[in-house]
Amino acid sequence: MKVTFKIWRQDNAASKGDFVSYEVDRLTEDMSFLEALDYLNELLVARNEKVIAYEYDCREGICGQCGVFINGRAHGPHDHMTTCQLHMRSFADGQTIVVEPWRATAFPVIKDLVVDRSAFDNIIEQGAYISAKTGTAPEANAILVGKEVADKAMDAAACIGCGACVATCKNSSAALFTAAKINHLNSLPQGKQEASKRVLEMTRQMELEGFGSCTFTGACEVECPEGISILNIAEMNARRAKAKWFD
Amino acid sequence: MFFRKSIIALTGLFLCLFLIVHLSANSILLLPEETARELYNSYSTTLRESPIIKIVAYVLYLSILLHIVYALLITLNNRRAKSKRYTLNQYRENSSWTSQNMGLLGIMILLFIVVHLANFWARIKLGMGEGVGLDANGHVDVYEVTYSLFQNIYYVLFYTLLMAPLGLHLYHGLKSAFMTLGFYHKKGLRIIAKLSLIYAVIMAVGFGIIPFIVFFK
Repeated sequence: MKVTFKIWRQDNAASKGDFVSYEVDRLTEDMSFLEALDYLNELLVARNEKVIAYEYDCREGICGQCGVFINGRAHGPHDHMTTCQLHMRSFADGQTIVVEPWRATAFPVIKDLVVDRSAFDNIIEQGAYISAKTGTAPEANAILVGKEVADKAMDAAACIGCGACVATCKNSSAALFTAAKINHLNSLPQGKQEASKRVLEMTRQMELEGFGSCTFTGACEVECPEGISILNIAEMNARRAKAKWFD
Repeated sequence: MFFRKSIIALTGLFLCLFLIVHLSANSILLLPEETARELYNSYSTTLRESPIIKIVAYVLYLSILLHIVYALLITLNNRRAKSKRYTLNQYRENSSWTSQNMGLLGIMILLFIVVHLANFWARIKLGMGEGVGLDANGHVDVYEVTYSLFQNIYYVLFYTLLMAPLGLHLYHGLKSAFMTLGFYHKKGLRIIAKLSLIYAVIMAVGFGIIPFIVFFK
């Protein structure tokens, strides 16, 4: 199959950047989207042109490294999917595919399709951990966790930090990401000791990083590869209010 | 930002309550001419003379102002957070148009409120423009103000058409206010979403249809 990639090219954070179109022939619909980009890059190397910068790691949909805005959707046209799991069969022969980096002030472009997601790390550093003594693993049943609680915590913990929620949000809000990290630990007995501090400091850092506010469009939930529910955001709001006014 | 969002949610909920009272009162206009005039005028006189309603009125003005000011501040901050927009964005595939355009809908409602206040509040409470007469019972004839306004088809259309953005804004705003305020019960929210839809439809249709009925009275 043959497609036209219209790809955002930008040398560095300071430069302006613009779209460049590339016609690519001899693709197959069984290729993954990233393989098609790899192929395009090989063509660029052969032509002695600068390759397109984009991020990936596992290509199994679990690491959260890949992530670009494809034809107006975060991670491409499907719901709940990472970019690496997208295949060329999702596009028509002869189609133009517009590829942009995540757009958010808190995620500045480093080069081409690569953005700096350090803002997420900064939020994590404020409390997405538990303070525990290291050593040998404790006996598994020393702290009992009910199935419902474990499931709920696991649903939130499924967040891979890809940034699609921020990318798709009209306000570039990091509410879903931050809520997932907070609810994961605050639901569990191990996270209770630092629960109030965690929610207050992580939400504070979220605002300091320059993310916008949540207006519950629900777009993040649809684009999230793990389908993390926006109810997590409402729960974070409740936890924050409780920590702020009652703890 | 959490504080500001909470204020927007709380003032929004208060305004939702106010609209219920407002629509109930407006439904008096649907009664036969004489009964409607008498009831409507005595009702509005009672409201104007009540000290409690005076306090509620100030809370109402304050709510509208806070709702607008904080929405504006939040929106400016949100714009800063998304300094560059996408060339191609298919947001309709992951969210509703309404949820993406609450600000635009809010501006349309504000436009309505300005005209609405100029038509009624400025004339009756501030005494601006044409004077308002008294009815047979000696009450200020608010019914006449309403009735004569809705003899003008352009006002009827304006009052009716702008209830569409109101309905949309109410639908998204009402259910979201609960989540902003930290209500996260899954089944409860599903019920709230349905009730918000019913509420929004009743408000939009109710407020929208009354000017037409008055016009054809």
